[in-house]
Amino acid sequence: MTKPAGSSFKGWLYGSGVAVLCVWVLLPIGLIGLGAFGGRPAVYQWPKTLMPASLSLDQLAVFLKIDGVWNAALNSVLAASMTMVMALLLGAPAGYALARFSFRGATMFRLMILLTRAFPLAILALPLTVLFIRAGLYDTAFGVSLVHTALALPFAAMITASLFAGIPRELEEAAWVFGCTRWQAFVKVVLPLALPGMAAAAIFAFVISWNEVFAASVLTVQQRTLTAYLLTVLSESPLHYRFAGGFILIVPSVVFIFAVRRYLFALWGVTSR
Amino acid sequence: MRKSILLTGVAAVFTLALAGTMPVAKAQDLIFLSTQLRPIDEAQKVRDVILKGAPKTSYVVDEPSPFTVRMKAEVEANKHTISLVGALHGELQPLLPMGALDPIDDVAASLKDRGIPSGLMELGKLGTGKQMYIPWMQATYVMVVNKKALPFLPAGADVNALTYQQLAEWGKAMNEKTGQRRLGFPVGPKGLFARFLQGNLYPSYTASMVTEYRSAEAEVMWNDFKSVWAQSNPNSTSYDFMQEPLMAGEVWVAWDHIARVKDALQQAPNDYLVVAPPAGPKGRSYMPVIAGLAIAKGAPDRKGAADLILHLTKPETQLITASEVGFFPVVNATLPATLSPGVKLLAEGVAKTQTAKDAVVALLPVGLGDKGGEFNKVFVDTFQRIVLRNEPVRATLDAQAEVMRSIMAATKAPCWAPDKASEGACPVK
Repeated sequence: MTKPAGSSFKGWLYGSGVAVLCVWVLLPIGLIGLGAFGGRPAVYQWPKTLMPASLSLDQLAVFLKIDGVWNAALNSVLAASMTMVMALLLGAPAGYALARFSFRGATMFRLMILLTRAFPLAILALPLTVLFIRAGLYDTAFGVSLVHTALALPFAAMITASLFAGIPRELEEAAWVFGCTRWQAFVKVVLPLALPGMAAAAIFAFVISWNEVFAASVLTVQQRTLTAYLLTVLSESPLHYRFAGGFILIVPSVVFIFAVRRYLFALWGVTSR
Repeated sequence: MRKSILLTGVAAVFTLALAGTMPVAKAQDLIFLSTQLRPIDEAQKVRDVILKGAPKTSYVVDEPSPFTVRMKAEVEANKHTISLVGALHGELQPLLPMGALDPIDDVAASLKDRGIPSGLMELGKLGTGKQMYIPWMQATYVMVVNKKALPFLPAGADVNALTYQQLAEWGKAMNEKTGQRRLGFPVGPKGLFARFLQGNLYPSYTASMVTEYRSAEAEVMWNDFKSVWAQSNPNSTSYDFMQEPLMAGEVWVAWDHIARVKDALQQAPNDYLVVAPPAGPKGRSYMPVIAGLAIAKGAPDRKGAADLILHLTKPETQLITASEVGFFPVVNATLPATLSPGVKLLAEGVAKTQTAKDAVVALLPVGLGDKGGEFNKVFVDTFQRIVLRNEPVRATLDAQAEVMRSIMAATKAPCWAPDKASEGACPVK
């Protein structure tokens, strides 16, 4: 008798937990959507309705018609993609080394990696900008992505390090026994297992670059990223613009996460193992 | 299969990356960097309407701190991308010691007939013998009143000639009758509340911004302001722009920069009045705000920048600027009758403020260089300690006056209006 009661309680707990989590994530997005599509009056309306009284695409259209918004979006994608690739190419080997080899100063190295995040960008801005101007990297998406890579690198190295540490060394050794070289064993055995986690590290790098404002706005004049181009002025614009801009800024990250969700779920599988 | 998709993805990113490193072949537009007219819709109006008929220009906006960093970096690297700079008087000033500004006496000579008041032109010299910037637009700070608040006005009070005591009584009446604190100030992180203290409150009570910082009048002032604050919406500490709380109906009586309430007025011009800020025992002080146009030293296109200044200071352009973005002309030009109702309200409010019988002008801080932020902090800190944390007024004023004195000593800035001119650094009594 007690068993069904217990399981129904469990089911209820599970269900309500799921509901709370869904509301937690979806409610803000819903409110942003409401503000973005509901037109100007909906922004100030209280209490809020679930569906906007009138749907209008005007605000979003206004956004997409701003001069240079597409160029800025392209720059954002470029910078974020390059950041992602560079952060992984540099971070993953560092992570692998931290996980597999014990060398003198490994702990120190770990700390030093994190130290790059300890310097506030605002202090570095001036010398960095001067250097970038001299090196001809000023006002390019590549220049921005270099700075973003420096910011994303600690995360990439740390995430991949714990990832490689979680993959049993025996698997790799078995591959060596069967005649694989170190590189082959890495590519054929370790990499497939690490791929979901690498995807997570990549997402981190992408999002860090996508969201970063200060470096992106100081280091560029005309080739601004979308965040630098819009976000800085967004907070000073009327509320309905903020909702429309907020909506546009979250869409790419949601789409991106949706695209790689399989790897993410697999990652959670790995961590719970 | 999956691998090949992955590979194509990586390859695509690299191609993009390569494309990104290559200099984009783009016509070399003249770059006009501005810290003003930043909000999306205003920047768009600058591009579409105000710059129409001007030399081909790329209008770029920056917040004040990246703006200073960028100007300094371009000077240090000695490689210039920016030709024309548009910024507030106080933001242009620190560029002078950096050597980022090119003297523009030639431009000043060619727009002599525009009728820019000589006082404004003098400000544009930044204390040197040469013209460093040309006045571009002006604005000030006003009070916006929702008409719903009018029935609660204390007996005998004139909404166009309020005092701070009446403001407090008014707020109290609204609070008692509607159950909500309806006064509002932009004390948020990006709000301009420091300007209220410097430009409106302090000079209205002490006829000074610096010298009488810890005077007995200042003590009275803070005690009066405490009762105003008691009737202010508790969300005031998070307001940056007063137009939002006004539109949302949270606040009925608000003080702010005209550009930061414009949206509310344009949405519902029939709901609001724009009035002069309240007066204290020493008059009704207000602070004019001046934005200027300067040419960067080493500008890639100095000729184009000079042409652009001529375009922006044309009376027609100045009028378009007023009706599109609500900043008012610096030149001699009468506002047309066809102004939109919201801008008309603003124009009337500004006129009331400037022509009030008891009007006192408080100028923006002059000569503080990069200490402008610290100067603002003295005022806001004093407000926080006395009003928000309820610390004793006398002791707090004495302590903060000490900080003020050290800033003045460090910058050696002489007094500016309404303080009386001084030899050497402005004294704090």
